[in-house]
Amino acid sequence: MLPSKANAPHAKKVLFPDKQPTNSRQVKSSTLTNAAGLSSLITFTVLLLAWISGFASRLFAVIRFESIIHEFDPWFNYRATAYMVQHGFYNFLNWFDERAWYPLGRIVGGTVYPGLMITSGSIHHILHSLNIPVHIRDICVFLAPVFSGLTAISTYFLTKELWSAGAGLFAACFIAIVPGYISRSVAGSYDNEGIAIFALQFTYYLWVKSVKTGSIFWAVLTALSYFYMVSAWGGYVFIINLIPLHVFALLVMNRYSNRLFTSYTTFYILGLLLSMQIPFVGFQPIRTSEHMAAGGVFGLLIFVAVFRYLRTMLTKSEMKYFGGFVTLTAAALLLILVILTYSGLVAPWSGRFYSLWDTGYAKIHIPIIASVSEHQPTTWFSFFFDLHILVTTFPVGLWYCIKHINDERVFVVLYAISAVYFAGVMVRLMLTLTPVVCMLAGVAFSGLLELFLKEEDKDGSDREGGEGSEEESEEETERSSRRALYDEAGKLRRMKHERPKGSGDGLGANLRNGVVIGISMLLMMFTVHCTWVTSNAYSSPSIVLASYSNDGGRSILDDFREAYYWLAQNTPNDARVMSWWDYGYQIAGMANRTTLVDNNTWNNSHIALVGKAMSSNESAAYDIMTSLDVDYVLVIFGGMIGYSGDDINKFLWMVRIAEGEHPQDIRESDYFTERGEFRVDSEGSPTLLNSLMYKLSYYRFGEVKIDYRSPAGFDRTRNAEIGNKNFQLTYLDEAYTTEHWLVRIYRVKKPEEFNRPRIPIAERTINRRTSSFLSKKTARRKKGLIKGRPTVVKGQKPQKKSTT
Amino acid sequence: MARGIIRGFIILLSVCCIVSANSETINNDLVIKNVERSIDLQSQLTKIVNKLTVENTGKNPVKSLLFAIEQKHKDGLSYIAAQTRDTSRSALKISETKVQNHPDKLFYKIELKDALSPGRSLAIEVETVSSNELVPHPKEITQKEKQLVRYFGNVYFYSPYTVAKQTSVITLPSRNVENYTKFKPVVQSDSTITYGPYEKVAPFSVEDLILHFENNNKFLTIKKLERVIEISHWGNIAIEETIDLYHTGALLKGSFSRYEYARESKSGQSSVQNFNTILPAAASDVYYRDEIGNISTSHMRIRKDAVELNLRPRFPLFGGWKTHYVIGYNVPSYEYLFNSGDEYLLRMRLLDHVFDDMVVEELVTKIILPEGSHSVKLNAPYSVTRLPDTLHYTYLDTKGRPVITITKNNLVENHIQDFQLRYTFPRLLMLQEPLLVVIALYLLFLLVIVYVRLDFSINKDEVSESKLRIAGRCEKILAAQDRRVNSYNDLDDQLSELKANKNTNTFQAAVKSINQEYKTATNTISELSLKLKGESGDVYERIQELQKLDKALKELYNQQQALYFDKLIPGRIGRQPFVDAESVIIKKKEETVEKINSIVKSLQ
Repeated sequence: MLPSKANAPHAKKVLFPDKQPTNSRQVKSSTLTNAAGLSSLITFTVLLLAWISGFASRLFAVIRFESIIHEFDPWFNYRATAYMVQHGFYNFLNWFDERAWYPLGRIVGGTVYPGLMITSGSIHHILHSLNIPVHIRDICVFLAPVFSGLTAISTYFLTKELWSAGAGLFAACFIAIVPGYISRSVAGSYDNEGIAIFALQFTYYLWVKSVKTGSIFWAVLTALSYFYMVSAWGGYVFIINLIPLHVFALLVMNRYSNRLFTSYTTFYILGLLLSMQIPFVGFQPIRTSEHMAAGGVFGLLIFVAVFRYLRTMLTKSEMKYFGGFVTLTAAALLLILVILTYSGLVAPWSGRFYSLWDTGYAKIHIPIIASVSEHQPTTWFSFFFDLHILVTTFPVGLWYCIKHINDERVFVVLYAISAVYFAGVMVRLMLTLTPVVCMLAGVAFSGLLELFLKEEDKDGSDREGGEGSEEESEEETERSSRRALYDEAGKLRRMKHERPKGSGDGLGANLRNGVVIGISMLLMMFTVHCTWVTSNAYSSPSIVLASYSNDGGRSILDDFREAYYWLAQNTPNDARVMSWWDYGYQIAGMANRTTLVDNNTWNNSHIALVGKAMSSNESAAYDIMTSLDVDYVLVIFGGMIGYSGDDINKFLWMVRIAEGEHPQDIRESDYFTERGEFRVDSEGSPTLLNSLMYKLSYYRFGEVKIDYRSPAGFDRTRNAEIGNKNFQLTYLDEAYTTEHWLVRIYRVKKPEEFNRPRIPIAERTINRRTSSFLSKKTARRKKGLIKGRPTVVKGQKPQKKSTT
Repeated sequence: MARGIIRGFIILLSVCCIVSANSETINNDLVIKNVERSIDLQSQLTKIVNKLTVENTGKNPVKSLLFAIEQKHKDGLSYIAAQTRDTSRSALKISETKVQNHPDKLFYKIELKDALSPGRSLAIEVETVSSNELVPHPKEITQKEKQLVRYFGNVYFYSPYTVAKQTSVITLPSRNVENYTKFKPVVQSDSTITYGPYEKVAPFSVEDLILHFENNNKFLTIKKLERVIEISHWGNIAIEETIDLYHTGALLKGSFSRYEYARESKSGQSSVQNFNTILPAAASDVYYRDEIGNISTSHMRIRKDAVELNLRPRFPLFGGWKTHYVIGYNVPSYEYLFNSGDEYLLRMRLLDHVFDDMVVEELVTKIILPEGSHSVKLNAPYSVTRLPDTLHYTYLDTKGRPVITITKNNLVENHIQDFQLRYTFPRLLMLQEPLLVVIALYLLFLLVIVYVRLDFSINKDEVSESKLRIAGRCEKILAAQDRRVNSYNDLDDQLSELKANKNTNTFQAAVKSINQEYKTATNTISELSLKLKGESGDVYERIQELQKLDKALKELYNQQQALYFDKLIPGRIGRQPFVDAESVIIKKKEETVEKINSIVKSLQ
């Protein structure tokens, strides 16, 4: 209407659009009412698609293998969930698991973060009350992928609060498929992290919201979400330190406000009380150093608030006096804290905490932490592997945030910096870095495209359709939310005098196109990379192994389940199985048998005892095993098929952990050759070659010829011919070995089953007399004979060693 | 009174019947002329086929004869059937019965089709299958050793009648026989042992027969088989079998060596590595799993008349080992489910094949009927125990599906027979589940609509509300502005027409209505702006500005109109001055329009 009017004087034909107004006015009014509707529809669609694609890309393992729980810890979670579903919540909280940590047992209800079990248990309950008979295993398997969608949504909200809705959509799409997060949330990886990242992001969103609004409502929601996080994962400590850090930084930056005061005080008190309701956490929030910062900041904030209030009432001289009082009180409080720490009322920093600051700490003091591969420092490679393009773009977003700083952006800056540090210390903490990287990369991409696409939009709306890549949809919607608002302007835009205003950036159309195409290329490569990494690196259940032959055929190695199921079916129900702690949860979960140690590595000395048994010779190990009532011993042996994650390769850690507790019996140096090598062939150290682990792994392996080229007893994993062949086991008996020798189970013999026959006591004394009398002679005679044939002596020697 | 008498009579009659059914007497008139007994011990089962020739030496026709089982074979017997040996080979009715003076033995009564008249003879065949009669001896063997079993039997055919002549042929799985009772005449050739012929053997005579021989065949027993048949009227029947499998042969002594098992073919001969299960030909979506997931070692072959599954348990089964698994598949319902109107008939196997020569110690078959079925009538092929009906809840169920549970102990392959189940199912109930979904979705959408449309907050948000109100007013103002713009456009049209035609009259007429429209629009704007005044001074001011500008614009139009009217039409102005004057006005107009635009934009 207006534009046409402006054109009217110039040419007649332009007048024809005039006739549109009556129609277009209606259209306009409908789009006007729909502007919000349209943008929310697009937001909804993008988030839904992010959810679906995030869910779908986590299903590689289910499609390739089956709906099965992966790895180690998830098996415990699954077992606990199944227990809770079967016996009810209160029985679960009171559950004393006598099948773990024999003979100590484990109070599961008090040593577990129950959030995961409660979540899937309640989903199960709801579905079953609706008569939907979904097995609890399927709920557990698909819980993490479903929650990844929720994570994407909460990331969207958080980024929207921090920057803009467009950046939020970007961030949501990134986090839905980024490998750093997928690594912990593929279908079947039923672990705390799967739901914890959602809780983390959602808590942060609510926190930012409450800081922004200063409303008690949001602060209470933050505390509730924090409560969920506490119930779900030990990583809640990250929240309870980051939020106070944020508050502290704001105070230092002189950004104190009543909003901050309201939200933090509400959050802290409620969060503290709620977090103490989790049995595993208990009084830790007021008794450990990890939680002290939050309390300190709480006090500080109140001081600042009081101080500010008093300043409005007191004169300057009075204020000075008061300032001195404040300093004194603060110093006194700090002193009290230190005293409390020394007196033991407040626990000092834990070892795990120290290992965050000193990467070498764990290796020296807590080998059990260092022995886990995911506790190793992160390599540069894995940053790129897990985050790809985001790792390079997130500093841009960080810079944007620093440039346009405000209260909540201080938060994201602190989040980014601390998460980057922790991710550098431990591979595992890559997980906490991933969300913030996605958010800031979202900010960066959104900023870039805002600059480069807005003009494009003005030049002609028909070009938008050109960039139809998957990634593009987000930024398109991001713009379109704006476009919807500008829809009116779209009509005005036709006016000629509007034009010169737009192209003020001095960016040519070619440059814009080039940049936009470049960005889309990067994003497409990112998608491809994510899918590739997910499919190749993070989608193996590690319980079922698959090997591919040259013609593309796939064969499944199902040895783990074969062995566990054998244990479940063909051993007594109360049989106790000794294995290295890695397999504890799996044995409990799949075989349902009592284990000595498991992945909840709470008792180091018990683990060390098992390590000692594994690293001692057979008779010494037998003493330990009988004292622990061991019925079966399970070892993982990969030498037959070349599986590198087997017990021999983990053996040095067993030795180290055993040495930590029993330095007089076990020395790591004994297991190396003189040149300091760890070898299993004939040059290996005799202590290693006669250790229980070695014997159990290689029992009768010396007779196996894998192919014609290699000698008998050739270990494929370590590419060596084993050094100790043809030995017999005195105290153990091979009970079961799986098809590919991957799992070997031995039965511990009862004392009467040893090679000597059981003789009644009455006869025994008589026999001993006569036999000892005679044997002296025969032994001497034999000795003489053997000396005559030196070859025989050589053959006999290891035999003797193995039995004594 | 009369009714009571009748009732009493009926009771009396039935008691008589029971008594007569329960205690038979041995008819000594019957003589078995010849018995050819073949005992098949090749598998874990004892399959005996007795070919009898019975002669009636008495005076009266005989309607039935008795078949006796020794006390020690009583428990193992799982299947018995009789048939005639003529060309028709028709089955004869056989039922358990009791005989006077012989309470310790098990008797079966075979009812003949036609009474056997005196002096005539009849050839019949009685087949029995027994389980658990082969006892491993020694009880424990090592992995390398062969499995030896012992069979305790009777050299003679165990008969309540005198047997004139009999021979027994025993078939063994291998020629390796450790020991056998040498009760002459006896002949061993290859893997068969023939006893007899013996003549004139008195009733119930027993001569112990002990066989000790090698049998490495599958000694597998299904301790419990739970078979669940779930019927869907949408065209599918889902079958799931949960199986507890034991190796009941000689126990494994000592260790299991994988090395020897893989390397030496003689090692673990009696162990079971795999077996074949035959499913119906239409079976699809077969799964084979246990508590910890899919068992990846199985193969499926589709034959013409069946689906053959080669199942490998996760581990080879040695003596004393057990395993547990679930196998399930779907079959289309048209092959098994028949109906006329609301009456349905299901005909399926009560027990299906698991492996050849199988032994099932306990079978529980559950049939889950669709929700709402009633008047169920079961017709089993052999005597079974029907447990109380239960309910089963699954997707979209409200009151539960009826479950018919049947159980029976000690079954063998011969028990694979069809049962018939009649029930009534109102067809209209088929619509119940789709409707449930529809209603649920409808309610969900309704909920969302209600939630979105209604305001649930407990406190009024004044700021945003007034914002909304202002936005609403602005929208109205903008609409009015649009109308005003329209009027300008029309005016432009008229002016250009005027310029071309110089027809003042039509112009006047047109302008009148245009002006009318303009006036109403302007009035609405000023009214609305007054309402806005209280809420947002800022917006009000902008609208005032708009009004001012509009007034100026209108003035310009008036000038243009005046120019045309006063100068152009009377021709009082030259071409050049007119163009100049017009362009000045147009330029001013454009400027004003631009200002108006900016205000309009800001209002949006």
